[in-house]
Amino acid sequence: MDFSLVELSDEDAAFQRRARAFLDTHVTDEVRRRDRETGDNFDEGVHLAMGAEGWLAAERAPESEGGLNRLRRRLWDLEKRRAEVPWVTAGTTAIVTTSIEQYGSPEVRAEVLPKIDSGEVRLCLGYTEPDGGSDVATCKTRAVRDGDDWIINGSKMFTTGAHNCQYVFLITNTDPDAPKHKSLTMFLVPLDTPGIEIQGLRTVDGDRTNIVYYSDVRVPDKYRLGEVNGGWAVLMGPLAEEHGVVDAANDGLQDVSILIHQGTTMATRVDRIAGILGQEGSDGRRPLDDRAVAYRLGRSIARMEAALSAPHMFGRVAIAQTMRDISPDLMDILGSASALPVDTEGAADDGGAEHLFRWAPLCGIYGGTLEVFRNMIAQHVLGLGRPNYSQPARAKAH
Amino acid sequence: MTGQGAHGMDRYELRRQDYSLSEDQTELQAAYAKFFRSRSPLEVVRAAEPGGFDKNLWEQLCATGATSMALPEDVGGDGATLVDLTLVAEELGRTLAPVPWIDHVCASRLLARLGACDTPDIVTGREIVALDPRFDAPPGRRLVPSGSVADRIVVRDGDDLVRLEFDTRPAKVDNIGKLPAAWIDPAAADRRTVLASGPEAVAQYDRALEEWRLLTSAALVGLAEETLTIAAEFAKNRYTMGVPISTLQGISHPLANIAIVVAGARNLTRRAGWFLDNEPDAAPVLASAAFVYLAEEAPRAATMAVHVQGGLGVSAESAASAYLVRARGWALAGGDPVDAAVRVAESFATQA
Repeated sequence: MDFSLVELSDEDAAFQRRARAFLDTHVTDEVRRRDRETGDNFDEGVHLAMGAEGWLAAERAPESEGGLNRLRRRLWDLEKRRAEVPWVTAGTTAIVTTSIEQYGSPEVRAEVLPKIDSGEVRLCLGYTEPDGGSDVATCKTRAVRDGDDWIINGSKMFTTGAHNCQYVFLITNTDPDAPKHKSLTMFLVPLDTPGIEIQGLRTVDGDRTNIVYYSDVRVPDKYRLGEVNGGWAVLMGPLAEEHGVVDAANDGLQDVSILIHQGTTMATRVDRIAGILGQEGSDGRRPLDDRAVAYRLGRSIARMEAALSAPHMFGRVAIAQTMRDISPDLMDILGSASALPVDTEGAADDGGAEHLFRWAPLCGIYGGTLEVFRNMIAQHVLGLGRPNYSQPARAKAH
Repeated sequence: MTGQGAHGMDRYELRRQDYSLSEDQTELQAAYAKFFRSRSPLEVVRAAEPGGFDKNLWEQLCATGATSMALPEDVGGDGATLVDLTLVAEELGRTLAPVPWIDHVCASRLLARLGACDTPDIVTGREIVALDPRFDAPPGRRLVPSGSVADRIVVRDGDDLVRLEFDTRPAKVDNIGKLPAAWIDPAAADRRTVLASGPEAVAQYDRALEEWRLLTSAALVGLAEETLTIAAEFAKNRYTMGVPISTLQGISHPLANIAIVVAGARNLTRRAGWFLDNEPDAAPVLASAAFVYLAEEAPRAATMAVHVQGGLGVSAESAASAYLVRARGWALAGGDPVDAAVRVAESFATQA
């Protein structure tokens, strides 16, 4: 057990300064403001600068080939979060890159990987379907073989970042008659292929995602990842990572759970709110002098610290659930000026709690709903068995 | 720079986040799991309910070194860390062991800090020391959770820390936590010794109360996990409409939520202990935070565990009901958790 500050060597301290200097230069208030406006959670200028200065290549490469070691990777990640670097598209790119390295044809690897390092190529996830929900295996988007190509038809929800990406990591159904885990084939589909239409969709937290329509999209076979009808195996690695079921190493240099990034954002907002409520007002009284305020703040902090401590799958449910549970109380104790969003005159905490409240529903569905993870905990940790679902209702006889 | 308060708390500084136990700690944990499992089965717990205390179990526990380990070496103890002590407390809670170990450990550590741990009998546990675990320290008569079995009782009386001794032990009163609680009136003590006074003394007492919340939280984690295990086992074997009720999400999701509470609260408690051991100024109130969380969640978990077992769960003889009443009573011994919550809020406001 160890929660100590890591003492940095001179070289590592210099690395940290270099990281901070880079982020100070490129991640400006203007970048953050623009990101809130677009909801993109991606900034091409920042991303290309990271590519140009070698940060993206260093993230991807193993340590033996010039990549970041665990300590520096951790430093870099923490500094990126501190600077509020837009992260969603960088994150999906990293998740899919591993699959390309493992399953991509030599031709596709040569086409894509160098440009991932330069920042020119970004990747998004084509998983969820409009009527599919959290079960990625219920896939109706069809891919049909046509000579050396495949023809794809269908649609996908929540392809976040597609309008800033060059390829989509797409789940298709290549054998509708097979059991669902033996019917899937994965493709890396170039997003400039004719027949692809990207339609933007704003979410209640202010982010932007997309619905992507695929109409007779012709994709060469070289873009297939893994075996035909063997897509489930290709998906398992990225899914395990996204679900946060991969165990933490014992050096304490990684997140305790997959939603710690979001949880830490919540924590910085709560810390700031605590500071605000501890300030004297014009009447010489602090809001915290009211025990009804102090109690709700203390209780919110307690719940949050428990959530931040919970490991892997437990943590992802705890963080998303806690955000939902405490954000209304945080708004109440800040008073009616907590209704004002960021950059609004007189906003109680610059819109921090107000945004948490709108963000919390998202945190409880992306990467799988809270129910998916409660099912997994019940089945795999507690051994309660597979959830029992009632049979579909039979059509009524006419 | 964003993400950092004006004075100090920095959520992005490079701290290790390593919750793993050392080999020694894993052995300690296994040893006390075995001890409590074998020496404090439910029959023993039930049999001790009239007095809230099993003297024989206490003597066996002390013989393992469980009281001396908690004290510093300069008073004859073994200098265990608070994290080590949370491991023992968790196993104690798991079996509802009817021994005042948490109170004695926190009170005797306080005496050691005050230079008042003046007899080896405290180290060995032959003499039991109790304390009033409430932050608000009301004047006059107060309920002390181990008051009926203690040889000495330490309380805060205004700015004074006083040690009370009674020629006849105060009478145990029945209580929902099945604790050996008694009403203690400092004015009625046969001997009343002021051990220390002033702000530093009060700070030492608050530290003892923070440690009490730490170890009580650890005990509530063990308690909640065991009641979950009992309920899960029941749910796997109880059928409705031809399926085990454990496969119904109306049952499995509340049970999963208890597992989440246990996982989060356990790690928070250990992190709180680590900071009290190593950097108390950096995170002084995480034990209070864990306590506020568990004072709410442990009884909720125990209620759900009873509910899952339906008519069998609510039986006064069921294991689940034994956990239910203690989940409520053990936390309540510390008074209204509002005091701990306010303490957390004030500390974060200062650090932000």
